[in-house]
Amino acid sequence: MISLLQTTIVNANENVMVKDGKIYLVLTIASIIMIGLFAYVTSVDRKLTQLEKNIKG
Amino acid sequence: MLRAKWWKVLSFVLLLYTCTYGFIVKVPKLDDRLKESIRNMFFHVPMWFGMMILFFVSLVYAVKYLRTSNPIHDIYASSYAAIGLVYGVLGIITGAVWANYQWGSPWVGDPKQNGAAIALLIYFAYFVLRGSLLDTEKRARLSAVYNIFSFFMLFPTLWILPRLTESLHPGGQGSEGNPGINGKDMSASMRTVFYPAVIGWTLLGVWISTLKIRIELFQLQKEEQN
Repeated sequence: MISLLQTTIVNANENVMVKDGKIYLVLTIASIIMIGLFAYVTSVDRKLTQLEKNIKG
Repeated sequence: MLRAKWWKVLSFVLLLYTCTYGFIVKVPKLDDRLKESIRNMFFHVPMWFGMMILFFVSLVYAVKYLRTSNPIHDIYASSYAAIGLVYGVLGIITGAVWANYQWGSPWVGDPKQNGAAIALLIYFAYFVLRGSLLDTEKRARLSAVYNIFSFFMLFPTLWILPRLTESLHPGGQGSEGNPGINGKDMSASMRTVFYPAVIGWTLLGVWISTLKIRIELFQLQKEEQN
């Protein structure tokens, strides 16, 4: 049952990924880069906030 | 403002929207030359908008420094100029890649390309000037004055001269005005992505600038303690 579900999901993904000249593939890759970039900037921001708190404390 | 969260989230949302809807929004197919590459408008052009806005903020802090001699204003001015320059370099690289496939060569000597290169070199010299001065007060004062000159050099290099001659970029002779802002030059559907993209990219630039500012404020604090 689970494997059937997985196959269906994979097939559905493949269909989206390859239709319209595979533009959804580019969309996915650009989104991954954007999310990764923001995750990194957010982590630097958090580290700085922590440092600032430590210095004040 | 440095540590507020809402505009950072807004930047993320706008750029995620740009990176998804930007690829599927309907773009006009005029004469089959630009094809899908017109979607570069959502990435290449906001680099320049972002750069100009960051340089303007840098100018404001340079003037503030000259009025107050507060070293924190110098940190703000140099950080915004640094990230503005990063955006400019990204703009010129993405432009060269686009030009290679659109105009046949990465550098075709287009007036806007040449003007942008000069503008960037002027801002690179700002950092050369800063690096060459050891006295912090003198460095801050001289670079603030130079910063004002640099910003006003954007007028001829980017905004006036490329529009007086024929240009492969939009906005040259024959297609007057700012192609990014002039509503007649961009389809309504593209504008629904273009403006959010400009705001999103600019906010990301401001965010990275504030991180640089906070690191340098640390260093200033440390130097004062020693």
